[in-house]
Amino acid sequence: MQKLKQTVWRHKKRIYLLVGLTFVLGLAIVAQAFAMTNIVDGVFLKDQSFAAITPSLFVLLLFLLVRAGSDYMSKRIGVSIASEVKRDVRRDLLTSYVGRSISVAGKGQTGKKVSMLLDGVDEMDSFYSQFIPQVMQSMFVPILALIVIFTQHVNSGIILLVSAPFIPIFMIIIGLRTQKKSEEKLEKLASFSGTFLDTLQGLVTLKLFGRTKQQKDALEKSSLGFRDTTMEILRIVFTQSFALELISMLSIGIVALELAIQLIIYESISFYTAFVILILVPEFYTSLKELGTTFHNGRSSMGAAQKVLEEFEVKDETALWGEKEFPQLDVAPTIQLDNLGYTYPDSGFQLRAIKATFQPKQKIAIVGASGAGKTTLLHMLAGMIAPEQGSIKINEQALRNNTEASWLDQIAYISQHPYIFSGTIGENIRMGTTEAVDEASVHEAARLAGIAPLIESLDHKYETKIGEAGRGLSGGEKQRVSIARAFLKKPRIVLLDEPTRGLDLATEKILQKSIEKLNETATVITVAHRLHTIKTADQILFLEKGQLQAVGTHASLLETVPAYRDMVTIQQGGK
Amino acid sequence: MTALRKVMKLMLIEKKDIILAIICGFIAGISSVGLFAASGYLISKAALVPPFYTLIIVTSMVKLLGLIKAGAKYGERIYSHRATFTILSNMRVAFFEKLEPLVPHVFQKYRSGDLLGRVVGDVESLQNLFLRVVYPPIVLFLVFTSTIFFASFYSMAIAVILFLGFLLTTIVIPSIFSFRQAKINGRVRQERGDLSSDITEVMYGFRDLKLFQQLQTKQAQLLTQSEAYINEQKQENINKAYSQSLNSFMTFVVSWFVLAMGAYLVTNGTLEGLFLAMLVLISMTVFEPAAPMAVFPIYMQESRDASTRLYDVVDDPDIQVKQMKPTVEHLPVGPPGIAFREIQFSFMGDWRTTIPNLSLSIPAGSKTAIVGASGSGKSTLLQLVLKLQQAQKGNVFWNDQDTAFVSREAIWEQAKVVLQDNHFFYDTIRENLLLADDELTDEQMNAVLAEVQLGHFSLDDPILEHGENLSGGEKQRLAIARAFLKKGHLWILDEPTSSLDAQTEQVIYKHLFERAKGDTLLFVSHRLNGLEKMDQIIVMDHGEIIENGTFEELINQQGYFYQMKKLEESLL
Repeated sequence: MQKLKQTVWRHKKRIYLLVGLTFVLGLAIVAQAFAMTNIVDGVFLKDQSFAAITPSLFVLLLFLLVRAGSDYMSKRIGVSIASEVKRDVRRDLLTSYVGRSISVAGKGQTGKKVSMLLDGVDEMDSFYSQFIPQVMQSMFVPILALIVIFTQHVNSGIILLVSAPFIPIFMIIIGLRTQKKSEEKLEKLASFSGTFLDTLQGLVTLKLFGRTKQQKDALEKSSLGFRDTTMEILRIVFTQSFALELISMLSIGIVALELAIQLIIYESISFYTAFVILILVPEFYTSLKELGTTFHNGRSSMGAAQKVLEEFEVKDETALWGEKEFPQLDVAPTIQLDNLGYTYPDSGFQLRAIKATFQPKQKIAIVGASGAGKTTLLHMLAGMIAPEQGSIKINEQALRNNTEASWLDQIAYISQHPYIFSGTIGENIRMGTTEAVDEASVHEAARLAGIAPLIESLDHKYETKIGEAGRGLSGGEKQRVSIARAFLKKPRIVLLDEPTRGLDLATEKILQKSIEKLNETATVITVAHRLHTIKTADQILFLEKGQLQAVGTHASLLETVPAYRDMVTIQQGGK
Repeated sequence: MTALRKVMKLMLIEKKDIILAIICGFIAGISSVGLFAASGYLISKAALVPPFYTLIIVTSMVKLLGLIKAGAKYGERIYSHRATFTILSNMRVAFFEKLEPLVPHVFQKYRSGDLLGRVVGDVESLQNLFLRVVYPPIVLFLVFTSTIFFASFYSMAIAVILFLGFLLTTIVIPSIFSFRQAKINGRVRQERGDLSSDITEVMYGFRDLKLFQQLQTKQAQLLTQSEAYINEQKQENINKAYSQSLNSFMTFVVSWFVLAMGAYLVTNGTLEGLFLAMLVLISMTVFEPAAPMAVFPIYMQESRDASTRLYDVVDDPDIQVKQMKPTVEHLPVGPPGIAFREIQFSFMGDWRTTIPNLSLSIPAGSKTAIVGASGSGKSTLLQLVLKLQQAQKGNVFWNDQDTAFVSREAIWEQAKVVLQDNHFFYDTIRENLLLADDELTDEQMNAVLAEVQLGHFSLDDPILEHGENLSGGEKQRLAIARAFLKKGHLWILDEPTSSLDAQTEQVIYKHLFERAKGDTLLFVSHRLNGLEKMDQIIVMDHGEIIENGTFEELINQQGYFYQMKKLEESLL
């Protein structure tokens, strides 16, 4: 809320302009009422000739023009402020999302974030484009109208004064209720988005399990839930409008009656006064009523803003990085794991006391059964997770003293599911580095990764478009694109997560060659299941249930560690 | 236009609320006009000192009309909005229903963020179709006709001015604006859709983008896009404000003409001065609801774009599934024999023909493994059986039944499937397992979890989006557990254990073969070890079957399979 108000004050100049325009608008409305009355009174009671009232007619036209003009200008200013605020908020929110660490970013539904960035920010629009200009008009115009009416006929003024306080009271009570509701509404929409996206992507699974119908029902329920929340808000708003309408209509009726009585019985006022008041009274209420409608928009806007602002408060561990710039590595470094430990907050899974030293350009295999903590260890090495105990030292320097970006510059990470962006194959390879690279290097990287022959065989070669999540490429091909990225980057440390998952033998061979090639200049740390990788490793880290059981070469572990021996025998097809 | 018509058709389901909204709207409009007419008349009459009872009658009319107006307005709003939001809800579901048969083809052309944008954003923007496009002109027309009719009793000339004003504010000016709007339109929706899909993609690829330090670049790109989107929105809003202000100015001008003409007629003696105030107030009131008509074309265009974008996807000829009306809704329970006859297949828009011509038969109750290089068409065969893909030529038979005539649901009902990528929903493990069968007890599920070596999982453990909190191996095992729990006698397994270590794999295979006893099993394998038990091994390369036989036969043949085996051994 505070933040929302602050954003308004960033546009001080425009706000003053808005105030000025509102003033002009109010004056035009009053002037218009007098001009109109002049004319009607002139011909109706004063028997003036048409020529006599013609000047008044043109003056009236001028007032009408001023009224429409100032209305337009204030709307326009509102739109400009709204655009700028939306731009700022979206930028800040995106920066916050993008700045998050990987472990925090993995939580929460993507659909929800998208909906925040789009709908959440868009909903803030009406606060600035409609609510603020309207609030000004609704504060100023009725007061001006009331003052004028008082000067004309005190009784009418009193009637308005008595009825008017009901309006803000209603609005405050109801506005508070709508804000909460509209937060709920945004939540419902976000959850609908989440459900929809999840359903859409899992649709094949749902179909296979014959669950489409049920999921459709769930979606329908979620969708109707959204409708009901919306209707609840609207019902409140409409009831409020109804009450306002009733108050204003009855008051107008009372004013008219009082005027008539004054005219006939007491003959204390003129028709002129009565008519001016009759024109101004609806303006008085219309302004207030319009406030009522925009009030709800403004409130939902604030609700949306609230939700958006909450997003900024997500706690993150990026602070665990230091300020130092990691020096550019020209040769592979020495890596020390100094008593690393980590506990997953959700599952309680623990990785404990990992101790090892990797010499430059060594080939390291992390081995163990599923769930032994291999990937967690790799994530820690990549810097995605901060160790809770111990530290990682690179060339004797603690890793976490450096900035995240300067560290990420040094490594390549090839995951189980490399993400392929919609774009061309060339663009996807080029993603490997932040620096500009020429065509030739991209081709070279593709060649080294063993994907060049495939790309060359395509009609559009490197310009071939590949879809979202790399549809159209097989798993092995995606992996090779990912390795091509690494070749382009030329890192001194390569981290691999089960690189040979689900690949056929020919592809596996190509990948192994590529990785050996990478190993010529870099330390390669692999989470491995394949004996080939394990056998040729300089050091094997054998993990069991989060504990480092043994470190050594294949031969030494075979001899000294029975659990390791069992694992290898099964791999070789033994019983 | 046809898309808009389809949307309208969906809209008309809520007929009752629509009619109620129109009736209430009309009453509200006409009573408001009446109210002001009566007030104007009242004070004019009062100025002439009439008998008191006239005053009483007119005043009570004023009060009554005020009440009616407020009530009718309330009704109008409730009914029109209820109709609108029910319509939107219907539309989301209708769109999903239409989209559902198009999965997975639809993903080859449309990104999921784009689809989300359409279902949420575009449907949302269709709320204006009813609220601002369809019903206000109807109400406005009814109110105006009555008012003009009423005014014509007093002065024909003023009735004519009102009529011209009606034409001007509801037809002429909106038309001019629709012309202006046409230029900037569609771009807002387009920008929004693009932004939505690109944000989604960045969020999905977050980890890789972060590790490759591409987030800054992507962020800058998104901000530029957001900027473009906001500018289009701004343009549209300014246009809206302009047409609204212009239109309300025009309504002032019409009232001005009524006043001028009325004044002239009064000085002329053709109109009684008594009615002038009444007519002026009528003209001011009746045009009040006409001002929003200025934005009519904007909403019209917006609705048209939104419906076109919605139906563009579901009617896209590129992704349509050519399916005959299935005549077989249920398949006999029991292990089926599967046969492929002269299959030809290539992926839509793909650069390669996946399968040129393939025939194969799999006897009922047999265990078949398919092996071969990546991209050789192994998975495609499985998808053809499941009708997740459709062959351009040839047939797949389920026993003697051509599956072209069998509904897809009938096949899925019988199949126990593990795909390469298995989806898990943002929910608990229990809910994800219950997909297989609602009747499952916790004991059954726990037993199966133990079989797949996930005994340490609790059914209440949450699964994050895309199974983000599970390792590759855990996801595979969970998918296998789900298949174990499902009913059916045809197992279709696509590299189900590729992320598992050999030890765990062996244990799971043991349970798998126990459970699959007597069933037909089709199994794409990533490794050659352990295939000795299979009744038949199919070796594929470039979409063709190059070898076929038992493990022993293939080894003795010393062909391609033998070479693969040698290669695999050399890797160990």
